[in-house]
Amino acid sequence: MPQYRQPPPPPPWALEGGGQVLDVETAVKDGILGATAGGGVLAGAAGEKLELKKMIDELDPLDDIPAVFICPISLDPMTDPVTLCTGQTYERGNILKWLSMGHLTCPTTMQELWDDTVTPNRTLLQLIHAWFSQRYLRAKKRAEDVQGRAAELVDTLRKAKGQTRVQALKELHQLVTVHSSTRKTVAESGGIGSVSSLLGPFTSHAVGSEAIGILVNLDLCSDSKANLMQPAKVSLVVDMLNEGTIETRINCTKFIEMLMEEKDFRSENVSSFSLLVGLLKLVKDKRHPNGISAGLGLLRMICSHKQVRSLIVSVGAVSQLVELLPHLNPESLEAALQILDDLSVIPEGQKALKDCQQTIPNAVRILVRVSETCTQHALSLLWAVCSLAPEECAPLAVEMGLAARLLLIMQSSCDPTVKQRSAELLKICSVNYSESHFISKCKLTRTIQ
Amino acid sequence: MIFMLAIVLHSMGSFCSRQKPYNEADAEENEQAEEIERRIARETKAEQHIHKLLLLGAGESGKSTIFKQIKLLFQTGFDEAELRSYTSVIHANVYQTIKILFDGAKELTQNESDSSKYVVSCENKDVGEKLSDIGSRLDYPYLTKEIANEIKTLWNDAAIQEAYSRGNILQVPDCAQYFMENLERLSETDYVPTKEDVLYARVRTTGVVEIQFSPVGESRKSGEVYRLYDVGGQRNERRKWIHLFEGVRAVIFCAAISEYDQMLFEDETKNRMMETKELFDWVLKQACFEKTSFMLFLNKFDIFEQKVQKVPLNVCEWFKDYQPMASGKQEVEHAYEFVKKKFEELYFQSTKPERVDRVFKIYRTTALDQKLVKKTFKLVDETLRRRNLIEAGLL
Repeated sequence: MPQYRQPPPPPPWALEGGGQVLDVETAVKDGILGATAGGGVLAGAAGEKLELKKMIDELDPLDDIPAVFICPISLDPMTDPVTLCTGQTYERGNILKWLSMGHLTCPTTMQELWDDTVTPNRTLLQLIHAWFSQRYLRAKKRAEDVQGRAAELVDTLRKAKGQTRVQALKELHQLVTVHSSTRKTVAESGGIGSVSSLLGPFTSHAVGSEAIGILVNLDLCSDSKANLMQPAKVSLVVDMLNEGTIETRINCTKFIEMLMEEKDFRSENVSSFSLLVGLLKLVKDKRHPNGISAGLGLLRMICSHKQVRSLIVSVGAVSQLVELLPHLNPESLEAALQILDDLSVIPEGQKALKDCQQTIPNAVRILVRVSETCTQHALSLLWAVCSLAPEECAPLAVEMGLAARLLLIMQSSCDPTVKQRSAELLKICSVNYSESHFISKCKLTRTIQ
Repeated sequence: MIFMLAIVLHSMGSFCSRQKPYNEADAEENEQAEEIERRIARETKAEQHIHKLLLLGAGESGKSTIFKQIKLLFQTGFDEAELRSYTSVIHANVYQTIKILFDGAKELTQNESDSSKYVVSCENKDVGEKLSDIGSRLDYPYLTKEIANEIKTLWNDAAIQEAYSRGNILQVPDCAQYFMENLERLSETDYVPTKEDVLYARVRTTGVVEIQFSPVGESRKSGEVYRLYDVGGQRNERRKWIHLFEGVRAVIFCAAISEYDQMLFEDETKNRMMETKELFDWVLKQACFEKTSFMLFLNKFDIFEQKVQKVPLNVCEWFKDYQPMASGKQEVEHAYEFVKKKFEELYFQSTKPERVDRVFKIYRTTALDQKLVKKTFKLVDETLRRRNLIEAGLL
């Protein structure tokens, strides 16, 4: 016989008609205000405001604050909500200011106030506090978590081999890139040494690319950097720069730049054909502007070492860079021009500049157009080319409208050396022309316009 | 009329039946031809998935040793029969070595100023002559304990050791020391060569040898399928290379960096390193290798390590601008980096700008060390696999 089962008694806090009285925690927890599982902390009223302000400041900007917590006047979350007689709630400071300006209306409803007292809305304050606390604790937990995870991974790396090692490196790479707090953890738990020791002549690309990705994000001390400057390790990085994905290439570039900043860096470490050819490939890859600027940055740094310059010229860097000039953004353009300027100092560089058809047109076009620095460098290049072979180059330059621009520079530039250079260059160019002919070439009317 | 119709029908009938066997035969032939076509198509398709690897390099650069290593690593290795087949080769190596040393010592007494140190002691002279005689025959006798002892005594003679130290001008094979030190074992009656013995054994490769293998990954059963070709390196063998040059995935060029002070076997006036340099240059410029990956194995590092501390690199014309920096292990590293840079320079100078996109990597190898070869080949495999993915647009 089926037993008659009594319906369960209503919980003590359940109202008739199905309504529920909720405490603050439940309200926040059960998603009424959009929160998910977590604990709320109800602090004493006194210390609440201060803590609340701190938590609001540290909140992840991506988190959506519920609309009811926002003061309609300032659109900021409220730390001391007070309610008017109309029932609208505002931040205390803001509404008092409004009232002190003489307005006797409710800002949102525009009703006239029959009572100018403000009542603290403790319920709302408690809700706000609970919501922010929950978020704050969760974020803190996540942050601590990543640091713990990072330490775990560094430990794993000491013993792992094969696929486990690659996976651990990948995860550590991710953590270090996204969460800056993990970087210190990795450094402190000896991660730098472990990762560096993985780099060697027999390191696979999979391991190497992740390892470099990690190291590039960390702050390395001089000793670690010195350790990483071993030729076998540098060779590995150069190989990856030639073969990796764009992220790997950029990482390798940054890595080498980092090593080059050390005092006792020897330029022979970077006088490698493979490195220079790889950098040029990177710089010419129009699909990835990040790669272009990273590559040019490193190339500029390498070029500042005089001993490597002839090597750079011998891999055909000059013509490749000159042809690249019209396609670069201003920052990259400056870097490229600096490199060419440095290279123009040595005879091979000068010759390569002269031999390249595009040098004069591209350089002339840059004059005055972009920035003072670019103009300086372009001027230097033109001077190098024209002083080497004036008969050949001067007419071509003048055809391109060089003279007019030089005059403009002489008028407008603040730098006396630049003015001098322009004047000299103008003289070189005008040598073969009669005065009237030259003036017509200058297209002065256009300049004046 | 009906009669005529009947005749026509009859003749038509016989005409048709005569045609039928013809059609059948034809159809059968067609069927067979189609089957052959299908098989060719299938095999060509299968072939496309097989990556062709070519081992190139000058004579004695270590190509065949790498070949043997791959066989040991990725195939079933050498079974007993195969191992035994090397016995005669190893014994031959022993006889050849001792003959070269003895004859070499004699030559040195005639040509060198301080000739006395190359004079073999009286008691060993006769033995030496006998062994030299044996060594010049086409067929070598089995290496008995007796003969082995005689060889051992001669090897220990001061003059012979002096001659050995001049090994670079005498064409002494690199396996000399190893075999001389193991003479007792080699002369056992039931001697079966070990894997290491086989790796050291020296036979001048002639013609082409190939193996097909698949490098087994850690968690993967099937990787790429490679077919590796080994060739003879001496000059007269190189004309056979051209037949192999089509459709090559990667060239593994072996260069023995320890031979910067040695002369060619086939031309004793030519420095081996210079020969390697020219050969590498020639290979790089071949039209058919436009898209081929190049793996340069700088081989015999173990010998290089020892030699570079005693014999300066500048004795080779290509390395004449070498400046020693430090000493000991650091110097070895410095010397190696110098040689590596020279090869890099050569590569980029011989490569047209359009070809700069092809893969070029340098590996330091010691072909006799199985672990090292395994590690090196793993890297080569990774590089080639990545290259495939890049070319397929997946990376």
